[in-house]
Amino acid sequence: MAPLFLAPALIVLALLLAYPVLYSIWLSLTDASLSAGQLDTPFSGLDNYRRLIGDKSVLAALLNTLYFTVVEVIGVVVLGLLTALLLNHPMARWSGFRVFLLLPWAIAPVANAVLWKWIYHSNYGILNSLLLQLGLIDHNVTWLGDPFRALNMVLLVDIWKSTPFIAILFLAALQNIPKTLYRAARVDGASTFEAFRFITLPSLNTAIAIAVILQTIWSLRVFDLIFVLTKGGPADGTVVMNFLAYRVTFNFLKFGYGAALANIIFLASLLLSIIYVRLMNPGAPRGR
Amino acid sequence: MAARQSILGRAGIVLALVVFVFAATGPIVWLLLSSVLQQQALTSIPPDLSPSSFTLANYLEVFSSAAQLGRAIINSLIVATFTTALAIILGAPAAYALARLEIKHAGTILLMVLAAQMFPAIVIAIPLFITASKLGLIDTKLLLILVYLSFNLPIVIWVLRGFFMGLPLGLERAARVDGASPLQTFLRIVLPISLPSLFAAAIFAFIEAWNEFFFALIMTRQTAQTVPLAISAFAGQYQTMFGQMMAAAAISVAPIILLTILLRNTILRGFADGMLKG
Repeated sequence: MAPLFLAPALIVLALLLAYPVLYSIWLSLTDASLSAGQLDTPFSGLDNYRRLIGDKSVLAALLNTLYFTVVEVIGVVVLGLLTALLLNHPMARWSGFRVFLLLPWAIAPVANAVLWKWIYHSNYGILNSLLLQLGLIDHNVTWLGDPFRALNMVLLVDIWKSTPFIAILFLAALQNIPKTLYRAARVDGASTFEAFRFITLPSLNTAIAIAVILQTIWSLRVFDLIFVLTKGGPADGTVVMNFLAYRVTFNFLKFGYGAALANIIFLASLLLSIIYVRLMNPGAPRGR
Repeated sequence: MAARQSILGRAGIVLALVVFVFAATGPIVWLLLSSVLQQQALTSIPPDLSPSSFTLANYLEVFSSAAQLGRAIINSLIVATFTTALAIILGAPAAYALARLEIKHAGTILLMVLAAQMFPAIVIAIPLFITASKLGLIDTKLLLILVYLSFNLPIVIWVLRGFFMGLPLGLERAARVDGASPLQTFLRIVLPISLPSLFAAAIFAFIEAWNEFFFALIMTRQTAQTVPLAISAFAGQYQTMFGQMMAAAAISVAPIILLTILLRNTILRGFADGMLKG
């Protein structure tokens, strides 16, 4: 009986996930490219992977990805933790705060990207006009005009959009800490900071590890934001691995090389997923 | 001393809450505000927020100048509805089996479902694009409906498994004692009492499908274009019409904001917990 319940879903997942992954591995071993509407797939062994190593644009994308991921993970986890601690405070119990928290997470990435393009606009953007009025800058800044600055501005938006989910995760974890621990600590004369250091933080160990892994995986996937805000520019300053794989495949129509790049991202995500799964430690089915 | 400290502490919390509310909602408020302001008000420095600058013209113009958007909304509704329905129909029995039934390799299957949620889209996008081209499915809604199952089905299975595990066992035991098969128990007992959970999982899948951009960008051209693509195209075409750009963005964001407000508790409890515990 049980296989009947599972089989349809597993077959669909095999067709949509397992088959493409195997196909992608095979593609990466060919010099597949699209010309005149025809896909030629001459076998080329590990050539694509050898080419990856000497490719300057791959190295640049890799460095951008590393920088992007490290800053995003640190930013999101720290801000997420601070937000969760704030909203866990008795004075912040009003459910409206949690709705506010959910909003950046829920809105469509593309609409969000279009919004920030307007906020960052160099002549009429609200960011320039706010900073000018506060006296923090004395002339309009072209936020997306310089490669490294553009990368950081994209990062800022992605941190803003990603923090809520991680904060929700931490809120859930905070609410699982038994209140008696804090009561006992207060009886023992512990300060607020000591209670945080010796009860809250250790209790959040697993949640923090999970947040770091999940956010790393999600950071590797960023695409919509870069596509709308910068298209990878200026001077390829915002080209991350994911975007490079897209561009190589669907703009330059080099399917084999693109697949090799995609497989690298897949491998990184897979390793992270394995760590995540270990941390979650899902139990056997309950009941019966 | 203690009292003064707590007043200071309270002031600190209030200040932090103000910063939080501004940071979380400020950009979205500006999105909605910009969508109802005239171009002239938006391009004055600072923006002119006097009552006379407000207008609904941006929305009217978006709909008249972008016939594409109307079609995209219909496409998005169709794609999101069907992919959600399929994800629930396929996912609910699988989730139930993983939560309650004796299955060989249940642990392994569970890990695979979990890992499937982490798949980078690009790695499956390339092969699926080639296969879909050969089958002549590029630029069809059917293709998007199927491809979106790749991320929605694992999520639905995972979320529903959590819900099913939380159900009290009594009813199912009683049904089994009365001689009901697992299928009968599932259809007659479990599903009816799980409708709110099914609905919540469905809304979640719907939002994911409604917001999806990457696959839609690769797999569609004109006919099957969805809302995120229309918004991105519109923003590229009319990049100096700020109010209209924001009106277009607001149209895609509004239903999601409403759903989020309605479903806040389900999202907060069910989903975050599901990501922490197996």
